[in-house]
Amino acid sequence: MKGLKMFDTVDDVEKRLLDQGYICGKNIATIVYLASKLKKPVLVEGPAGVGKTELAKVVAQALNQKLLRLQCYEGLDESKALYEWEYSKQLLYTQMLRDKIGEVIKGTTTLRDAAEKIGEQDDVFFSERFVVPRPLMTAITSEEPVLLLIDEVDKSDPEFEAFLLEVLSDFTVSIPEIGTIHAKHIPLVFLTSNDAREMTDALKRRCLHLYIDFPEEAQELEILRMKVPGIDDRLAQDLVELIQRIRGLDLKKAPSISETLDWARALMVLNADKLDEAMVSDTLNIILKHQGDIAKAQTELSKLLQQKAAAAKAEQPQQVDPPVEKKSILH
Amino acid sequence: MERKILEFTNLLRKAGVRVSVAEGIDAFNALDELSLDERDVFKDALRTTMVKRSDDIPTYDRLFDLFWSGFHDALREQMEQALGGMGADFDLEDLLENLRQALENMDVDLSDFAQAMLSVDINQLEQLIREAGEGAGVANIQNMLQIGFFSRRIMEQLDFEGAGGQLRELMDQLRASGMSEEELGELGQLMGAIQDAVRRSVRRFTELELDQRNHDYLERFRRESLQEKSFYNLTEEDVRKMRELVNRLAQKLKSIVSMRRKRQRRGKFDLKHTMRRNMAHGGIPFELVFRQKRKEKPKLIVLCDISSSVSNVSRFFMQFAYSLQDTFTKIRSYVFVAELGEVTQLFRDNDIYEALDQALDGGDVINPYTRSNFGMAFHIFWRDFLSTVDSRTTVVVIGDARNNYNDAKAWCVREIQKKARNLIWINPESPGAWGFGDSVMDKYLPYCDVAEECRNLKQLSRLVDHLIIR
Ligand SMILES: Nc1ncnc2c1ncn2[C@@H]1O[C@H](COP(=O)(O)OP(=O)(O)OP(=O)(O)O)[C@@H](O)[C@H]1O
Ligand SMILES: [Mg+2]
Repeated sequence: MKGLKMFDTVDDVEKRLLDQGYICGKNIATIVYLASKLKKPVLVEGPAGVGKTELAKVVAQALNQKLLRLQCYEGLDESKALYEWEYSKQLLYTQMLRDKIGEVIKGTTTLRDAAEKIGEQDDVFFSERFVVPRPLMTAITSEEPVLLLIDEVDKSDPEFEAFLLEVLSDFTVSIPEIGTIHAKHIPLVFLTSNDAREMTDALKRRCLHLYIDFPEEAQELEILRMKVPGIDDRLAQDLVELIQRIRGLDLKKAPSISETLDWARALMVLNADKLDEAMVSDTLNIILKHQGDIAKAQTELSKLLQQKAAAAKAEQPQQVDPPVEKKSILH
Repeated sequence: MERKILEFTNLLRKAGVRVSVAEGIDAFNALDELSLDERDVFKDALRTTMVKRSDDIPTYDRLFDLFWSGFHDALREQMEQALGGMGADFDLEDLLENLRQALENMDVDLSDFAQAMLSVDINQLEQLIREAGEGAGVANIQNMLQIGFFSRRIMEQLDFEGAGGQLRELMDQLRASGMSEEELGELGQLMGAIQDAVRRSVRRFTELELDQRNHDYLERFRRESLQEKSFYNLTEEDVRKMRELVNRLAQKLKSIVSMRRKRQRRGKFDLKHTMRRNMAHGGIPFELVFRQKRKEKPKLIVLCDISSSVSNVSRFFMQFAYSLQDTFTKIRSYVFVAELGEVTQLFRDNDIYEALDQALDGGDVINPYTRSNFGMAFHIFWRDFLSTVDSRTTVVVIGDARNNYNDAKAWCVREIQKKARNLIWINPESPGAWGFGDSVMDKYLPYCDVAEECRNLKQLSRLVDHLIIR
């Protein structure tokens, strides 16, 4: 797989990401462009579901580079991120080579001599053949340029962060038994974080920093139209307006873009063409998970619908259709 | 330009944003890669290389506007005014086009500055004024009285007089080459207006330079940042934002604590246990065993004053305490104004924010709408709850010790301290005020192992780290 040409300009980034179905403003495009030019990792922070992971994916697609993803979690350690020795394979080889080993130690009389002889052959057993590369190693040894995504780095332990720091500063790996491997290409690196824990200043110093916030109303509408084609225009607008308002409430967890999309799809299945109080109430649990949040959103929804009704009335006083009974199929 | 960026970096640092030297260099490298006609791109490039904490972004935005956009906007406004005064049927494009044609067959000597004025090129004018500012040493401006002086020096650097002379000469040549009096009149009027606009802009430029160096401004700025904002004047919005901040700080402390623990826990190599553990491998030590150091987790008892003057300190302290719950074996919390009651159960039954709201409202165990009486509160604790205190317990009292001239009953505090491992008092008032007016802090002070002033989040998180979880 051959990589495509690097980005030419900030606008080029914006356009090529759009081609991959990702809508980003100047801000994101500028930082992605700089990362590719300066060969610096990007630390992407922001609330859940604003498209941090997605960004790394689409950049890889736009450059036609392979995406290597290292998912972080508590307890993740070097060996799982970098490489492991394949013990069982080593053992298997030892078994199969038993006769050969016999030959090697033939003529030795003491245990010490035998061990010495075997020791000389060490590198057979500790060679790249028995190394299982994990994402970091794969990224460093790759022949082709790749994109490395270190996802949810805030979930990893502080010790792992210290290790990452080393790797990110020189892109070399030392395996004591084999030697030091230098990267052929410095990969583009994206680290994402939900801010469960603040990353250390040392790590931040090495990275460019990108903060992705919830999108503005217009941008969210654009994303919605692109990701849920065929959605009724009015429904899309009302939906985004409501979501934006809900985010302004004092919630335990604000709805994300992906939840907006899920919700829109659900409402489409229900054949909605505008916000209907009952239907929205029945489906609020798609975007909000806490009972308290749902209650607050419900109040906000009623307010919004009243305002809309009042505005509509003021605009053109006309007959109101009798309300259609719609059954909830969710729940 | 480079000097300007260095200055801006210093400004960021003064406002409390940490920018390392390496990051400053990154900023320069970034600017090399971009075309900077667009202000937003420039702004993002500086931000992504130098500002890495999301909390600092609002600070950055405001300083950027002050530093970079302030003058640009002022200049634009002045120029627009100058053009606006030109009468209804004035057409700048037309005039400039005619000028360009006339100049083609003419041999005139115009400085960059004169040309920039003639073509009303705002970006070029900005650049030239900034350069002249550097030449005039405006960075050394100290006070208002020097504004006139530095403005004049900048004008000299621009060779404002000389440019004016060149423009007059140009007019003469244009007249000689047959330009109409009407057009000449327009041009003369325009140049006059532009020169006035430049004069005013230079003054504004000097004023802005002074602003940027004004420490009062930076001081105010720092105070307004939430970390250092006094608990006494928080708006409801602040309290909400702060909740997030406390959460973040708590997470940070937690990871520091866990690192510290891991380091401590790994004790000496334990031969005996290593042998035993590795029996299965024929005694070959695959797994090493280290002796564990066990450190007793402390118990925490919190006594929170919830009267309105102190409630925010109590709120954030308790949020800390409960976010760091696994650091303690047990937390018990009590609230008081005059009466005192236990709210531990509230935190078991509800999520933390709900529990906090309820606790600060008296939690159905006390009446919050009374006048503070510390003596009474301590007496109730001593009478009903002293048995919960033991030698592993850290007792934290949060309150301003303003006792409304009631009996202080300091002996109750003495008895509590005697039984506890230690007693820490967190007071939002500064030590200078302790013991004055109706403050009885001085009476309690002998029985406090530590008593600290704490009035903002920064102080609070430092306190929590140093005193309570270490
Ligand atoms: N700018 C965007 N353009 C198009 N789609 C987007 C955009 N932002 C987010 N999305 C959609 O939102 C979904 C969620 O994004 P993603 O999983 O990347 O979020 P995240 O920030 O990584 O969340 P988390 O913090 O939970 O990991 C994506 O699958 C994508 O469909
Ligand atoms: Mg993600």
